[in-house]
Amino acid sequence: MVTLKIDEIPVQVPEGTTLLQAAQKIGVWIPTLCHHESLSPSGGCRLCVVEINRDGKSQVVSSCVYKAEEGLVVQTSTEKILGIRTCIIELLLSEAPGAKVIQDLARDLGVKPVKRFTPRNELCIACGRCIRACSELVGVSAIGFAKRGYDKLAVSPFYERAEDCIGCGTCAEICPTGAISLKDIDEGDSAVVCEGTVIEGPARIIENWKVGLKLKVCKECGETFAPENQLAYFSKEAGLSKDFYDICRHCRT
Amino acid sequence: MKGKPFTHLEKLGKSGRASLLPNQVKITVGFASCGVAAGAQAVLNAFSSGIKKRKMDVQIQKAGCNGMCHQEPLVEVWIPGKVRLTYGKVNKEIVQTILAAIKLDAIPEGALFKTPLGITTDTCCEDVPDNTSHTFYSKQQRVALRNCGVIDPENIGEYIALEGYQGLALALTEKTPAQVIKEVEKAGLRGRGGGGFPTGLKWKACRKARGKQKYIICNADEGDPGAYMDRSILEGDPHAVIEGMMIAGYAVGASQGVIYVRDEYPLAIQRLEIALENARKNKILGSKVLETDFSFDIRISRGAGAFVCGEETALIRSVEGECGEPRQRPPYPAVEGLYGCPTIINNVETLANIPALVKSGAKLFSAVGTETSKGTKVFSLVGKVNNVGLVEVPMGISLREIIFDIGGGIPGGKAFKAVQTGGPSGGCIPESLIDLPVDYDKLAQTGSIMGSGGLIVMDEKTCMVDVALYFLRFLEDESCGKCTPCRVGVRRMREILEDICEGRGTLNDLDILEKLAGTIKESALCGLGRTAPNPVLSTLKYFKNEYLAHIKDKKCPAGVCRELVKYSIDKKLCIGCGACLKACPVDAVSGEKKKAHKINLKKCIKCGACSEICPAGAVLT
Repeated sequence: MVTLKIDEIPVQVPEGTTLLQAAQKIGVWIPTLCHHESLSPSGGCRLCVVEINRDGKSQVVSSCVYKAEEGLVVQTSTEKILGIRTCIIELLLSEAPGAKVIQDLARDLGVKPVKRFTPRNELCIACGRCIRACSELVGVSAIGFAKRGYDKLAVSPFYERAEDCIGCGTCAEICPTGAISLKDIDEGDSAVVCEGTVIEGPARIIENWKVGLKLKVCKECGETFAPENQLAYFSKEAGLSKDFYDICRHCRT
Repeated sequence: MKGKPFTHLEKLGKSGRASLLPNQVKITVGFASCGVAAGAQAVLNAFSSGIKKRKMDVQIQKAGCNGMCHQEPLVEVWIPGKVRLTYGKVNKEIVQTILAAIKLDAIPEGALFKTPLGITTDTCCEDVPDNTSHTFYSKQQRVALRNCGVIDPENIGEYIALEGYQGLALALTEKTPAQVIKEVEKAGLRGRGGGGFPTGLKWKACRKARGKQKYIICNADEGDPGAYMDRSILEGDPHAVIEGMMIAGYAVGASQGVIYVRDEYPLAIQRLEIALENARKNKILGSKVLETDFSFDIRISRGAGAFVCGEETALIRSVEGECGEPRQRPPYPAVEGLYGCPTIINNVETLANIPALVKSGAKLFSAVGTETSKGTKVFSLVGKVNNVGLVEVPMGISLREIIFDIGGGIPGGKAFKAVQTGGPSGGCIPESLIDLPVDYDKLAQTGSIMGSGGLIVMDEKTCMVDVALYFLRFLEDESCGKCTPCRVGVRRMREILEDICEGRGTLNDLDILEKLAGTIKESALCGLGRTAPNPVLSTLKYFKNEYLAHIKDKKCPAGVCRELVKYSIDKKLCIGCGACLKACPVDAVSGEKKKAHKINLKKCIKCGACSEICPAGAVLT
């Protein structure tokens, strides 16, 4: 166990705990965006920066990555930190002005858009939560980043159909800005996905990864319940019988 | 020196000595990238065919770069037992005169300077200045570059003949790893890649760190615009770097090394491959190094051209085959690096210093330099300076001495304005500060950094706002995009600066620039992001009047920013020579001979060709 002080409050945490986790333990709020408790930390958005003091030297670090140390003095809302946070939200507001999560953060922290910045019409802020989730939680690594700097975006490999996508939708669920468009189409409807490929419903369409995946229809109730690829992946991973997913979970119980 | 390693080297050194100092005349052609670009291959071919045609008994060899890039192609004539003569800007005609003279046992005329070969009191070529008194060399002290331009980089024997691998042999036979680290610590060697972290401390931390495998990585991902120190060392003396890595490996307990070199350096990679193969063949690299129990091997990992991969955590990811993105430190690579194992990452120049340091000891090494910066530093002196080239100077020398004494000042009689140090992470130092001694801490005080060694000299015709914009564009392009301040912040700074350069700037922009710079400096994820605002901050600090001229007067004082420049010809100054008329690519200039000329602004594309060529200084901006 290590003992440290966050905003003057002493807190004891097991070794390996991040500063963010330690702060959450004592109810000190630190804003986050690229962080998700189920994913490995990235330290990219820099919203969660805090000031640490060691040997009389102050340093700005991201709390989602930095591990607690014995005797460490942490301050989460000094003037410097508040200034940095404000500026980062201003930057994010200019990058993805339409993202509700950023608008909410700006409202909560009293940050206004900077008129001088030229906004762009994207929702993706390259936080990589979708990519980490696809690799760490789902285990298929169907998507990744393309390009770098301001042009960096989460995309399907070579901007083509994400072959390995099972259509589980974890990416859309975990995306903080709602940048991933996932919709299910019914029987009789159709959609164009990649290079003019038409997919007939019932199917799940994820525009970002250029995939359209057939949805399984329950033999009992006739309702669609999940993409066939996802069910096949689950069956394979869990060693289930081939017909296990012929019926939906509602009809199974 | 006694012991197996030394007898092993003694044998190898013998053949090297025969090739380095043959009993016949030897000609070496500078064959680093700079030489090749200037036409060294044609010169080498001319020598080869000339020697054949004249049936001469002359040895012809390739060498690295001796630093005088402005004199390439460079050739040296080695007269056995006497001197080595250096010739610059050699062309096919000069090749013939050199060969003709040698054929007659005479000294070829036109040498730039001479270097004695060994201990000789021979008084030949008295009219040729000595290397030590030549302006380009008199203030230099070559440690990292000691063999560059002298030895054949593809011949391990020549390296060994000049005390090569002696430092390694000494460490292996007479010093414990802890003693080697102590020596490096005592010498005060600091990282030459830019950060200036004490090398000994880094090694100590890595030695202490636990791990079943440890790695030594040589960082050869040199990417600063205008910097080519590392390339030159790798092309001219690859074994110095290999030996440095091996000593580091012995000191920290690593048996594997990786040289991370950018793929844009094909010649450096080729020479490294040859060097590694020769070292392995001669039982210097591999298992049982120099017949001792120490084992060490090195592989090359080629970078695909991302500037950020010079940052150590991004570099590690790239070596691992992942996307080159940095991560927050700590943990530092010395504790948790390549594949999670303790890893030392040292820059090429740092490693090239190690063999000499270990061989001659900390005392001798630290006798050179200032209180906090010991030894020498290699700089690539480029930009608006007469003697463009690679120089190695003792720490503590002033920037003025480097630019005006070694560099020979500014071409065309123009006035010096600033010197940019440290690449995109550095800043611009104005004339008022160029008497400062070159030292990690002194340069940091100016708002710039020592950096890896790029020195870009700027004259009065350089616009400092444009310079800042150039570096921001570079950084925006090279940002990996992982963290918000660098990805979006640098972009916004670039947009504002572009507006200023194009006449759309407002005074409020300067406040926004400063605020953004402050945030990026404090909160970016890696060192590259944190230093990205430096070019803007340092120009704002020393050249604010230029920013104000762009914003308030909508004028670019240096006449560089196209949108703010209007070319005109001064009727009184114009001599009517017609040079501008001929130089203009769009026929915007008109006028009769010997009468004042005129520029049609509707046609003018503001390329500046007229201004460049005008002998009377009559073209105004």
